[in-house]
Amino acid sequence: MKSSDIFMITATAEDIEINKNELAQRLNVKRGYTNEVIESCKSSLMKIISYKCVYIRTSVDMSRENICDFGFMRIDSRNLYKNLSGCDDAFVMALTAGIAVDRELARLKITSQAEHFITDAIASAAIDSFCDYASGIMKNGLDCAVRFSPGYGDLSLTFQKPLLERLNAQSLLGISLSPSYLMTPMKSITAIMGIKNEKYT
Amino acid sequence: MKSILELMKEKRIYFDGGTGTVLQEMGLPAGQPPELWNITDPEKIISLHNRYFDAGANIVKTNTFGLNRDKFENYAELIRAGIKCAKTAAEGREEAYVAFDMGPTGQLLEPLGQMKFEEAVSVFADNIKVAAECGVDLILIETMNDSYETKAAVIAAKENCDLPIFVTNVYDESGKLMTGANPAAMIAMLEGLRVDALGMNCSLGPDIMLKIIGEFEKYSSLPVIVNPNAGLPEVRDGETVYNIGADEFSDYMMKIAQGGAIILGGCCGTTPDFIKKTIEKTESIPYKLPDKKDYTCVSSYTHAVFVDKDPILIGERINPTGKPKLKEALRSGNLNYILNEGIQQTDAGAHILDVNVGLPEIDETEMMLKCVASLQAVTDLPLQIDSTNFDTLEEAMRIYNGKPLVNSVNGTEESMSRVFPSVQKYGGAVIALTIDGKGIPDTAQGRTDIAEKIIERAGEYGIDKKDIIVDPLALTISSNPESAVVTLESIKLIRALGVKTSLGISNISFGLPQRDIITSTFYSNALQCGLNCAIMNPFSSAMMNVYYAYRALNILDSGCIDYIQYASSDNGKDAKQTETKSEETLHSSIVRGLKDSAVIQTEKLLKDTEPLDIINNHIIPALNEIGTAFEQKKAYLPQLLMSADAATAAFDSVKKKIPFEQSDKSKAIVLATVKGDIHDIGKNIVRVLMESYGFTVYDLGRDVPPEVIRDCALEHECKLVGLSALMTTTVPSMAETIKLLNETDKSIKVMVGGAVLNQEYADMIGADFYGADAMDSVRYAESFYDRIGR
Repeated sequence: MKSSDIFMITATAEDIEINKNELAQRLNVKRGYTNEVIESCKSSLMKIISYKCVYIRTSVDMSRENICDFGFMRIDSRNLYKNLSGCDDAFVMALTAGIAVDRELARLKITSQAEHFITDAIASAAIDSFCDYASGIMKNGLDCAVRFSPGYGDLSLTFQKPLLERLNAQSLLGISLSPSYLMTPMKSITAIMGIKNEKYT
Repeated sequence: MKSILELMKEKRIYFDGGTGTVLQEMGLPAGQPPELWNITDPEKIISLHNRYFDAGANIVKTNTFGLNRDKFENYAELIRAGIKCAKTAAEGREEAYVAFDMGPTGQLLEPLGQMKFEEAVSVFADNIKVAAECGVDLILIETMNDSYETKAAVIAAKENCDLPIFVTNVYDESGKLMTGANPAAMIAMLEGLRVDALGMNCSLGPDIMLKIIGEFEKYSSLPVIVNPNAGLPEVRDGETVYNIGADEFSDYMMKIAQGGAIILGGCCGTTPDFIKKTIEKTESIPYKLPDKKDYTCVSSYTHAVFVDKDPILIGERINPTGKPKLKEALRSGNLNYILNEGIQQTDAGAHILDVNVGLPEIDETEMMLKCVASLQAVTDLPLQIDSTNFDTLEEAMRIYNGKPLVNSVNGTEESMSRVFPSVQKYGGAVIALTIDGKGIPDTAQGRTDIAEKIIERAGEYGIDKKDIIVDPLALTISSNPESAVVTLESIKLIRALGVKTSLGISNISFGLPQRDIITSTFYSNALQCGLNCAIMNPFSSAMMNVYYAYRALNILDSGCIDYIQYASSDNGKDAKQTETKSEETLHSSIVRGLKDSAVIQTEKLLKDTEPLDIINNHIIPALNEIGTAFEQKKAYLPQLLMSADAATAAFDSVKKKIPFEQSDKSKAIVLATVKGDIHDIGKNIVRVLMESYGFTVYDLGRDVPPEVIRDCALEHECKLVGLSALMTTTVPSMAETIKLLNETDKSIKVMVGGAVLNQEYADMIGADFYGADAMDSVRYAESFYDRIGR
């Protein structure tokens, strides 16, 4: 695979501030609520979490209706087409919080359901927050569309496959895909973020 | 021409560099698999190989990295064409070799991923068969970022060809594989599997590899391969750091060669120029094969445990002998109990866990494989596979992720001829018991003679002395008064043979009162005689006291740091207990979700309260209080779950006092997420609450077919079933399950829940009850059993 156009962003637990609304929603609590167990789950998780992202910037051909052609993959999706309207280029990205999180969750599933639920929620909020952080670096002032991921609307999960392959995500991030298109590590994200063409904005 | 292994003894060998990089320069579109060109544009592939040979490479990798039966229907044809291209380029050249290149499957193996170990072996085996039939000079297994998948690939290669096997893994900037293994762990496993060379490739660049080459030099007895990427552009703190060019790359490679790597090449982003410059700068560096290292170790999927001066604790708790609860767990297939024992021993400070699941009434091999695989998802300690059944040992060694400790071989011919071939094939250190056909010798010399015989016989299988750990057997002094003395003397004699030793330490006190006193004193004596490993109970503070004190006294614990931490944590616990005692009750502990405190309070109550009264008058009312608060939105879901955790812990303490036959199996429920749906968080929450209310829960997991749910309900004569679905697409599957259950037995009641459901939907699909949340479900289940009068 050509790797010279793939960029990588890494971050440590300290770099990423977990979005409070996101966290509250995932925990099913009021914004700002916390307790001892939540704090201790958070601090254990922060010791093992390892954020990594790879992305490319690529052109997207939108000349046929409802078809987004990225060269390495051609996506037939009404929702994505609408999302990318006004874009000639897009960032295509894959991100992960690392396999250590999966191991911690497997362990907690045995020892404590409460800690399992809480840690799972924090990890989900954390990878989302890292996604915001990485997107911010990619944008660097560009006007971008809202991030769109396989599984949203009519965008099939099957596109995870060409996307991850193009990004060499298996050897760079350790993301693998099951036959039913689920990613491992569990807390991983793939997304497309259109770059608005200036002449439209 | 010399074989690659012969050439390797004489001089430094060079691999080629990146494939995709060069092919894209030749016009390969981004995103198109380069392997397709093996058939459509073979002349370009041949030219790629020629360019690398011309640059000075000795080995070219066939253009087959991404091929396997799951990815390409015509994988065999593509492999044959790829090998043909490489062989065409090598023809007529001196010292030019073809490596069949095999990359990962792209899927993660169980337990964290979904692919089965044997499935992975079979996928790789199909590739190897084609390569062996075409004829290549060696097999290169590369870019592996998981130790388990690496093992599957090596086994496939060993079972399907006699070619040299080279293996390279991807280490990240922390010096570990993506799934956690460090170089020492990988070296332990791969040397055990008897590969011919090992090392690293891909990764972020040669700078990362330079940082960890020292680990390879320190631990590897095999030649080390280093094939780095040309680096990646990285954005950090808003700065973009770019690729490494050929000059900088070859400078790094020079340092890597000086660090002991003897096979060099490149990976993604490198070109013939990178290889040419690397050769120019490294050719003159003196060449030396690595020394044979003489250390004893076993490994897990993350790290190696070295058996040397520092004593090793092997946790003995996963062994049914004398443990009725574990026996019950094995009979009922309750893996959670076993996994919990594993986690607790890990937390208590064990270094290795013994796993023995032998019970006459269960299929030992099947249970052993399940336990080994599941334990390796929740603890990173190496395992000691313990069985008297040779097939169980062999199969567990095969699927173990790492280099196992094998318990055991003995001096009988039957044992040695069965155990050693497995160790030879899969790798491992093995516990050797000093017993043979005539029994256990009465004298230390007699036991030492058996040890010598075993060591010699192991040598015939190519198993080194360093991988034999001798156990001279401790028998109880209650019936063998001289036992301790003879065993200690044996340790000294056996250590003089230059091998490591182990003892099942607890046996010494069998049949005596206050066993810890004898056992721990014996342990202390044995350590003085040079004992390395003890199979022991890590929950015994008498034993742990000896362990920490011995280390502090023998310069093994610098600054007594471990001892101080151990001693103060123990005191800390006592202080905490008195503190909670004064202010908490069981009720308040559960409501506040304090697990440890709930256990302490329960134990206090058990002194003067009937077990069932504790459940009915303390645990259930507390749960009801927090449940009501949750329903009134005065408490949040995490709090409800914490309370459930605390109640479950209290409940478990109570259950210890209730004999098995008395425990309440009449309140039961079958739970499942229906077929096609993989979301189980809602179902898990219901399970926890049900358990905390004292229900027996048969949790079938997620994606469960209707027939399995029906069979479970029938088997346990359970009249209550709870189904969960989170996706609209799986509601029909829920309807199908309800229909099947109704047809089978009209008295079975079905309650349903999940994000996509509501009362209307539930009525439509014929459910008996719709639970809006977990508490709702518990209330219904309680009322159901109240109605039928239990």
